[in-house]
Amino acid sequence: MSNPDIALTKEQGSKSTWKFLLGELKPRGKYFTPFNVISVPVIILGLVIIVIRFAKGLGAVTNLSQEVPWGLWIGFDVVTGVAFAGGAYVITFLVYILNMKKYQSIVRVTVLNGFLAYVFYAGALLLDLGKPWNVVNPIIGNSFGVSSVLFLVAWHFLLYMLAQLIEFSPAVAEWLGARRARKILAGMTIGAVIFGITLSTLHQSGLGALYLMAKEKIHPLWYSEFIPILFFVSSIFAGLSMVIFEGSISYKVFSSQISEKNHKSHHDIINGLAKICTITLYVYLFLQVLAFVHSKNWAYLNTRMGHWYLVEMIGFIIVPMVLFFYSYRKYNILLVKIASIITMLGVIINRLNVTVIGFKWDAAQHYYPSWKEIVVTLTVIFIEIWIFRWIINRMPVLRESPSWAKSH
Amino acid sequence: MDGFSYINIFDTKGIEYLIVIGFLVLFIPFWRALNKPVKARARYREAMGVLTPELLRIPQGLHYCKSHMWTHLKKSGYAHVGLNDLFLQLIGEIELENFKNPGERVKKGDLIAKVSQGSKELTIPSPISGVITDVNTDLRKTPGLLNDDPYGRGWIYSIKPNDWNNDTHNCVTSEKAKEWSENELHRFKDFVANSMKKHSPEDAMIVLQEGGQLIKYPLAGMPEEIWKDFQESFLGH
Repeated sequence: MSNPDIALTKEQGSKSTWKFLLGELKPRGKYFTPFNVISVPVIILGLVIIVIRFAKGLGAVTNLSQEVPWGLWIGFDVVTGVAFAGGAYVITFLVYILNMKKYQSIVRVTVLNGFLAYVFYAGALLLDLGKPWNVVNPIIGNSFGVSSVLFLVAWHFLLYMLAQLIEFSPAVAEWLGARRARKILAGMTIGAVIFGITLSTLHQSGLGALYLMAKEKIHPLWYSEFIPILFFVSSIFAGLSMVIFEGSISYKVFSSQISEKNHKSHHDIINGLAKICTITLYVYLFLQVLAFVHSKNWAYLNTRMGHWYLVEMIGFIIVPMVLFFYSYRKYNILLVKIASIITMLGVIINRLNVTVIGFKWDAAQHYYPSWKEIVVTLTVIFIEIWIFRWIINRMPVLRESPSWAKSH
Repeated sequence: MDGFSYINIFDTKGIEYLIVIGFLVLFIPFWRALNKPVKARARYREAMGVLTPELLRIPQGLHYCKSHMWTHLKKSGYAHVGLNDLFLQLIGEIELENFKNPGERVKKGDLIAKVSQGSKELTIPSPISGVITDVNTDLRKTPGLLNDDPYGRGWIYSIKPNDWNNDTHNCVTSEKAKEWSENELHRFKDFVANSMKKHSPEDAMIVLQEGGQLIKYPLAGMPEEIWKDFQESFLGH
């Protein structure tokens, strides 16, 4: 898939930037990889469905209704996707604020991932809006809607995407051979990082706060006043599990781009993240128990939803916490990866429990996503991976920066 | 009992306070267990980033030869050979290229493999004479085995020896092996100082931390000339 032999960054003055960009747009690597063979038909089908959605409206492709206006696109793409993108603010916090240089080598790839996740998964929000062009209203002030949590979410998404773009921009400048621009952009990094972390802590919880307004609609086991805090804390281990998972795949797929030094530190990094996941899962478990007791939910435990709740708490919080603990102590990288996958499943289950499964759980008509909604969701994920791969193969994300950039 | 009333533990949030206290109390052993120093040597080595004789893996029952190969005669009459931990700790992760195939005859001192890191390479002499009976193909699939389990799954060749006693009488075992490894490590420090002075005096400090400790994988960061010197001084040809 990747071809490390091709000249990787533009050498200054060699050819015009436009010619260079045009050349870079050409695909590289083999066409018929298993990933391409699976993803291309899905993307084509998904794009067709998206066209139908905009031509004929939401009802034509989704199972959404007046009763259930928010479905898989919000519950999975936006709410879960943003939780998984939380890795970026945690890693930048570790590296730039706590000065833990150990994680330096994964900053760029994590920020890139976070940025793309926001662009695509928050972008998927447009699909769900009845009048998508109105999305600019809270930004341009055509009725700001300051009393809505969505106002906060909209502004935060926009600003956070900008912050991540700035954090990532030195890599783009290195790719284009723009030395002066790189110097300026690199100087803005720390500011963007601090700004980004502040925004993240607020909107990760803000997404949870959206659901505070739906108290009557959410099953009591998943509704509590703590939802914002629970969303925030879980975004830490959700994001880090994604970093572990995605990092392990990148490590294999783009192996040739990773320097020998970073190859060696890869296991140390994963093990270090496992420790952070252990601690945050512990805190999260504590908060969940507290929320449970605070809401006096004992009576619901021995119901169908109660059993499902226990599966989430035991199978997807306590089990991965113990696994992370054990694998960190034993330095067992395979087990860390397994624990991260269980954790990610747990986060998906939790977000879907709040937004889809436990949402209107007592309604006569249950919402199930239509196959078209699922295809569109897969399309969004696949396109994101395509762009991710395109960037990794061209810009110095996993590989070392060009030598001129290092001396600064 | 006038004036006495039960306090409702729910209404006063008593249980919630107890849970908060409980989790905080539990956090102490949790934190301590998570951060307890790990005895495993590999972890310590990772953490400290230094190479000291105590950290070397030197299992008993193996013959450690001067060329930094080990050999172990199995009950079946075949001997495994591989690279010793000291060598691997000096050099770090490497690529291995086998020169010999099963069925070929080797004499002690014949070059049987090459290890390389980028353009730098070292050749490895056989510690014993005999007929190669097997090559460890697992190393091709998982090169990390060499460093992770040098004396077990990281063996390189299986050889049917034809003069075991004679070939191994120069090799050291058990306690002596420990002593020898320590001496080799000291010798390596001197070697580094001298060789660095000779080739690139300004870099001499990168290998030795404060107090003269070796950092891990010191050879990995050194230039090709020093690898050549190392080949002569430590691998014996």
